[in-house]
Amino acid sequence: MKCFLRSLTLLVGLFFYASSHATDALPTLTTPDDVGPVVEQPIEFPHFRHAGDAKDGGMQINCMYCHTYARRSMVAGIPPIQKCIGCHQSIESVRDKPRIQKLFEYWDAKKPIPWKKVHDLPDFVRFNHERHIQRFYFQQDRPYQEVCGYCHGNVKAMTVAQRQKPITMGWCASCHQKDHPVSANSSETGHGPNDCFTCHK
Amino acid sequence: MSVSNLLENWSKFRHTHPVDDKGIPDWEAYPSDIKWAMSIDLDACTGCNACSVACYAENNLPVVGKDKYSHGQAMHWMRVERYWDEGDNGFQAEQGARFLPMMCQQCEAAPCETVCPVGATNHTEDGLNSQIYNRCIGSRYCSANCPYKVRYFNWYNYPEQENAWPAPLNQQLNPDLTVRTKGVMEKCTFCKQRTYTARNNAKTEGRPVQDSDVQTACQEACPAGAITFGNLHNPESQVAKQWQSQQVDLIKDIQEKDEKEGNRLRGYRVLEELRPYPSVMYLERVRESAV
Repeated sequence: MKCFLRSLTLLVGLFFYASSHATDALPTLTTPDDVGPVVEQPIEFPHFRHAGDAKDGGMQINCMYCHTYARRSMVAGIPPIQKCIGCHQSIESVRDKPRIQKLFEYWDAKKPIPWKKVHDLPDFVRFNHERHIQRFYFQQDRPYQEVCGYCHGNVKAMTVAQRQKPITMGWCASCHQKDHPVSANSSETGHGPNDCFTCHK
Repeated sequence: MSVSNLLENWSKFRHTHPVDDKGIPDWEAYPSDIKWAMSIDLDACTGCNACSVACYAENNLPVVGKDKYSHGQAMHWMRVERYWDEGDNGFQAEQGARFLPMMCQQCEAAPCETVCPVGATNHTEDGLNSQIYNRCIGSRYCSANCPYKVRYFNWYNYPEQENAWPAPLNQQLNPDLTVRTKGVMEKCTFCKQRTYTARNNAKTEGRPVQDSDVQTACQEACPAGAITFGNLHNPESQVAKQWQSQQVDLIKDIQEKDEKEGNRLRGYRVLEELRPYPSVMYLERVRESAV
């Protein structure tokens, strides 16, 4: 019995040792827990229908057709309702769909759609959309879906957008440490700013 | 990963010193072509405090009130100091005071940076002395070591408990920087949010930063135009020309004005003999009185 107890203690000890050791390893930067909460929007906006690939029934509209300030401002911006109506007033085929009817209700009432924020950074962080778009979209000439997707995930496959990346400081820094080519045809590389004052305000 | 990275960079910027042991300027230590600097003409300054007010508005500074002010808990990043001439019969009030606007001097060898236990204040590549509110634990060591006494501590939770901005005043807070909470140190940042925007716009347009890109809040408000701000490394900038014409050098601890007798130079920096190598040049007052 004593022998059994001893071996049991040993086994249990070994198990805990092994499991504690496993947590010592560096955690991966993205885990399923990083997926943000499901945000209920006033209109269930189908991103996949607008921005998705053609084979999935999407129209491959550039993200920056609607989020137009991303390339020239700190914030990407939520499109005004005029932008939606601009196209949808001449798309008769979907006019009777419930989501579109809701859209026109807001339009007729002259009220903005109260969208809720999905990617909400703390107030002490200065994130600049313009710099990232300029660097990766215009200078490196990468596809916009990839560039926006670095931080926003695979929005073109989503209906209502949901946070897919952790958007924490360690996660930002993991990319800022990497060497990225300066332009599409250059072998020269550089990395993002690494000094606290650039991003912390 | 991030901690080692931070310490690596921290030490890199901490050891940035304009003069190495042999007294030779170490410009290699500057990875940037930008060095923000200022010059203030004390002859033009009338002590009107517009700069201070502008700073309050721009940088979300709480107005603390008379009681806290008398306890030395004012939060004025930009303050106008008064100096009275003393004659045979005590103060000569009729002659008026001499004014000296005093804010963080953004020292190149900043005494505050070396003493911070958590590295919350360190040097940026564009020559600013940064203050990272998230890292600050409120030891107030930096303030004790600052020869200019321009670091201000948040003794209270101003936005909530002290109600420094009762609604609707909270609507006028500047979103480009945080409202600091209780227990952190703060100080003049040379309007970091403005220099950031200027650098960002210049980078997008693919050109260097010019004088016309950025003004600090105090400079913008000064009715006498006493404050000049810009990039010292750009010889075309107004501030570099002023430093040049006054023969004030960032890496010297005694300037031409005091070194040689009988010149007509006015440029000096406050407490230079302590060798913090501040980034603000003052132009000495020439006229006798303010009135």
